[in-house]
Amino acid sequence: MADFEPKIVVYACNWCTYAATDLAGTSRMSYPENVRIIRVMCSGRVDPQFVLQAFADGADGVIVAGCHPPADCHYIEGNYKAFRRFELFKKLLEAFGIEKERFRLEWISAAEASRWVQVVNEMVAELKKLGPLKKNLEVKE
Amino acid sequence: MSEPRIGVYVCHCGFNIAGTVDVKKVAEYAKTLPNVVVAKDYVFMCSEPGQDLIKKDIKEQNLNRVVVASCSPSLHEVTFRTAVMEAGLNKYLMEMANIREHCSWVHHDKEKATEKAKEIVRMAVAKARYLEPLEELEVEAEQSALVLGGGVAGLRAALELANYGFQVYLVEKSPTIGGKAALIGYVDPKTRGAEVVNKMFEMVKECPRIKIFTNSELIQFSGFAGNYTAKIRVNPRYVNEKCTRCGECEEVCPIDVSNEYNFGLNKRKAIFLPFSNAFPPYYAVDHRVCVKCGECEKVCRFGAINLKEEPKIVELKVGALIVATGYDPYRPFKGEYGYGLHGNIITLFQLERMLDPESPTKGELIIGGKIPKNIAFIQCVGSRNTTPGSREYCSRMCCTTAINNAIKIKEKYPDTNVYIIYKDIMTYGSDESLYEEAGKKLVQFVKFEDKIPKVLITPEGLFIEVFEYTIQENIRIPVDAIVLSIGMLPPRDLEELIAVTRVSCGTEGFVREAHLKLAPVEAPTKGLFLAGCITGPKNVLESIRMGSAAAAKAMSLLSKGKLKIEPMIAQVSEEKCSGCAICVGVCPYGAISIKKVNGDRIAYVEKALCMGCGTCNAACPSGAMQHLGFKDVQLLAQTRAVFGEVR
Repeated sequence: MADFEPKIVVYACNWCTYAATDLAGTSRMSYPENVRIIRVMCSGRVDPQFVLQAFADGADGVIVAGCHPPADCHYIEGNYKAFRRFELFKKLLEAFGIEKERFRLEWISAAEASRWVQVVNEMVAELKKLGPLKKNLEVKE
Repeated sequence: MSEPRIGVYVCHCGFNIAGTVDVKKVAEYAKTLPNVVVAKDYVFMCSEPGQDLIKKDIKEQNLNRVVVASCSPSLHEVTFRTAVMEAGLNKYLMEMANIREHCSWVHHDKEKATEKAKEIVRMAVAKARYLEPLEELEVEAEQSALVLGGGVAGLRAALELANYGFQVYLVEKSPTIGGKAALIGYVDPKTRGAEVVNKMFEMVKECPRIKIFTNSELIQFSGFAGNYTAKIRVNPRYVNEKCTRCGECEEVCPIDVSNEYNFGLNKRKAIFLPFSNAFPPYYAVDHRVCVKCGECEKVCRFGAINLKEEPKIVELKVGALIVATGYDPYRPFKGEYGYGLHGNIITLFQLERMLDPESPTKGELIIGGKIPKNIAFIQCVGSRNTTPGSREYCSRMCCTTAINNAIKIKEKYPDTNVYIIYKDIMTYGSDESLYEEAGKKLVQFVKFEDKIPKVLITPEGLFIEVFEYTIQENIRIPVDAIVLSIGMLPPRDLEELIAVTRVSCGTEGFVREAHLKLAPVEAPTKGLFLAGCITGPKNVLESIRMGSAAAAKAMSLLSKGKLKIEPMIAQVSEEKCSGCAICVGVCPYGAISIKKVNGDRIAYVEKALCMGCGTCNAACPSGAMQHLGFKDVQLLAQTRAVFGEVR
């Protein structure tokens, strides 16, 4: 599967991770083209429904990223809300048969452009190993 | 709203985008997307001709949505929002596609980058189809503020606000204003803390717009920026303004407790005057220790004492709150450098107080009944991970304070040997001159690194054993007295403060600012500001400055008389809402409540309190709660568009 290019949907909070992705740009860092970033105001805004939608539509991986706990969140505790939801959600994904490597919850501060690049590189490499998401999700009668 | 008519504008950004992305191809591709009426590329979209291009199309092509594919929204969202607004379109009908920071600047393969840029544009168009016009709201702002804490930071803030013309309510929990700066001896070699505070008292007295509540606590705080309601509990002082400070009551009082206004250097009675220049200038009864024996009431010749006084609740309407409740000195545990095991081991605060002319020793250095011949300061007690119970941070003021007092001691008692046992000397800025001066006055500096000094209490006296870093040798210093340079801790009642005001804690345990560089002195909740040591260790000067800064921020918020409310906030669909109240619990700002509408329970968003994080939207099980600008349909459309489908 040498030429398999995974597609990764990223939900990035406006204040930390989105700013880090901007910083990666202004610092002219380099990373693979596989990510598509969707800006939300807070990682606490990300509904698990979005992630499922992304997988259903063809995402090979999804990243939800926000501000570092305990106290970086612009909205006091939105990152904790995301943490609570997605730690539980990870278990659900496994029950769906979606490998745990396909979903990442990350804390990336506005200054951590290199961390962002690292996360993208790691995930692209892992997903290339895993191959495309097998979409045999339909329930058979 | 009628069928979307979208214009897509692809920016070259000189070569910044066009050097990697084939912008013409991107624009051509955009034309094929649903509802896109026009798509153009231009060398600099943010330039005036670029903006004019967009404005002209809005008018001529009757566009009702605009997508600008250029840089990050953090750079030019405001620019393009203003541009579309000037062309008569609601400014929230503009969406940006970030093809520079997210594409041309981080990728090198032209073909792949162009494909990615097309997809980013497609995602933006998909979202733009669902954009809605949003309106900014305005609310009236109360021209008043509550300042919590009567230390130097709070006093400064109150003075600034009152001088500007605002009504100010200053709430202080102890019986006098002035805070700790009123008690510590010299804030610099020539100025007493008490002098600074006394001058501030004079200004406050002359200011009719400052109403002071001492012995008082903030027990409830509700509302939103510009329109807060504060409930204050005024605890009884039991002494009224007839008090002449004759002191007869004090003599008959049977209760003795440690005097916190002298940092425990002596005892005080249950009825007491905190310090000579306390303000308001009356005695007060400490209700926590008073046994209500009534002796003071009997002896008072002026009828100034009434032990039957009851607490009062006062309700105030204010536009803003400034939290300036200060810090607590670090509390060394028993045995930490011998603390509590020997009477001659005192804290830096006690020493500072002792050197003040109004102290129990009248400013004389008397420890254990005599003037010490050898005195040593041990630095970083409770700070910089030095001791077991200590914090990670540097407390900023202890190096300068210790050196300042060492100089004072050397000036007054030239025969006394003064040692400063330190890890690093942090006399930053102009305080460095004090460090030099201390050297000239032969204050002896002893440096330690990882191994912390040991205090030995022996029958022969006190010794400090320390591995001296510069000479790399263990040395033993005989001393008569030891001063522990303790740092600062967050105040003890911080949890109550957080519960009432919704300020939040940072990593170091102090209250945190919304953003250190971009929103300094602001709390995350709009209309709440922070001043002084509540956000972390500061010296007196820094606290005063922060008081001014917080007041300036409050003034700039309230002075227009009206407040704009950002429209990208939560909105409830009353039809869909089942009143389950899950959103109420997740809102970090307490902006959502449940109201009854025609007998049904419906979530209600207090618009001015909502900060627009959208966490309620994610939690809502029925989709009734929607984050405007980031609604489910908008984000789902954007997600789908990653994989080709725009619907």
